[in-house]
Amino acid sequence: MSLLKVSNLSIAKKHNNIVENVSFDIRKGEWLAIVGQSGSGKSLTASAIGQLLEPNLQAAGEVLYEGENLLDLMPKKMRKLQGTRISYIFQDYQGSFTPFLTIGQHFEEFLKTHLKLSKSKRRIKAEEALASVGLKPEVYQRYPFQLSGGQLQRVSIALALLLKPDLLIADEPTTALDSISSFQVLQLLADLQQETGCAILFITHDLRHVRKYADRILVMKEGKIIEQREKHQLLKQPEHPYTELLIKASLPLRAASPLFSPEVVK
Amino acid sequence: MSLLELKNVSKTYKNGVPVLKNINFTLEKKECIGLVGESGCGKSTLARCILQLESIDEGKILLNGTSLHDKNEKSLRPYRKNLQAVMQNPASSLNPKLKVHDSLLEPFRQYGKDAILKHFIYTNEKKFADQLMEAVELPRKLMDRYPHELSGGQKQRISIARSISIEPALIVLDEPTSSLDVLTQAAILKLLDDLREQLELSYLFISHDLSAVNMMSQQIMVMKEGSIVEQFAQENLFSEKRHSYTKQLISLFE
Repeated sequence: MSLLKVSNLSIAKKHNNIVENVSFDIRKGEWLAIVGQSGSGKSLTASAIGQLLEPNLQAAGEVLYEGENLLDLMPKKMRKLQGTRISYIFQDYQGSFTPFLTIGQHFEEFLKTHLKLSKSKRRIKAEEALASVGLKPEVYQRYPFQLSGGQLQRVSIALALLLKPDLLIADEPTTALDSISSFQVLQLLADLQQETGCAILFITHDLRHVRKYADRILVMKEGKIIEQREKHQLLKQPEHPYTELLIKASLPLRAASPLFSPEVVK
Repeated sequence: MSLLELKNVSKTYKNGVPVLKNINFTLEKKECIGLVGESGCGKSTLARCILQLESIDEGKILLNGTSLHDKNEKSLRPYRKNLQAVMQNPASSLNPKLKVHDSLLEPFRQYGKDAILKHFIYTNEKKFADQLMEAVELPRKLMDRYPHELSGGQKQRISIARSISIEPALIVLDEPTSSLDVLTQAAILKLLDDLREQLELSYLFISHDLSAVNMMSQQIMVMKEGSIVEQFAQENLFSEKRHSYTKQLISLFE
């Protein structure tokens, strides 16, 4: 069943379309990946859903969620939706935190905004959330700079999933992490998805990060969707030569040096 | 004689935290050794020590048999031209106020008179710069641009052109492709591999990406918490004998 439906979404900067006529839907509880190179418009598409585009960019088209077009939603209503029903995590984990607030204060801010809970209950909820992403309760008192990139990304996942949203939009959450931490974060996301049943829209340039967990993959190039299919079909028989290239550039470790095949390098 | 030899190299931070623990390895001419490990395991610190940007507490670093760490800055200068680096973030390794042309020629202007060129031919700056641009497969017209006008991949190609311009004995590649998207990564790795053949270069290739290391290197070293867990020939990566930590890394990439 469709949770969110994007129809003919275009994003323009001064009448130049950067994203053109993008249509797709996200189904309940699925893991949908958008894959593309830098500049393909994948992050803009994801940002448009939550009205997070910069003011110099205009989105046109429709993003339908529970009968409402999110692009036309009043800011106040959008804010209510964000965090409770639709949450984001970003590539820049440092930018997701205020440097002079402790992790605990971030939880406090979030919980006070969205829920009416006593102080002690808020604390318990925060510590439970930290435990759910494999972090110790001590982290509550720490400042962002005292944690590693992987740990911070775990905290932002804990915050994003705190109120059990229907949809988590993950915009390259693993790109800034080393591959070891990034695979751990991916595993964590997959486990939490099992538990909470939320849908994940996962943006990445690296097919290796979605090979294992995604249900469907959507490939973007120069602002357009060139292919969207079920994962196994797409990986096995890509229709578009560009998809084939992306697959060749990110084969699993045991495959023989596909990297150096001439068509990938071109 | 090996090109680079590290003997019992150890380093401890001032707060007492050991960062390098008894590192031993040798790197031969025309060889690429891959060094793989998690963030914080000490791989970049090791790179900085080899590049003589940081001091070591114990042990020896020998370049062509000459011990480096006990030299002062002045006597070290002739050796520096043989140690070049390509870093992770190409945006910060190029001076934003210099045009590409000047960034490109900077190492040669600095060290060129001592450099022994075997592959490039220096007649004048313009012709030399053209050769470098050609070696890294960039159009000449980019030389009149500033770094912010280039893409990440183009900037990284310029950093590579700079590092090869004086034909150094050793280039330390510290996560040269981590900030690039997969297709650009593939192209840069291919370029580096070709250049090593053509210019008879030697690399220490540092990365957390085991597949990149596997494709680039003849020898692989795995580092964890400041120690080298094991070192083996690339073709033995999937051998049963591998250390449990290496096996764990491999499983992540499958």
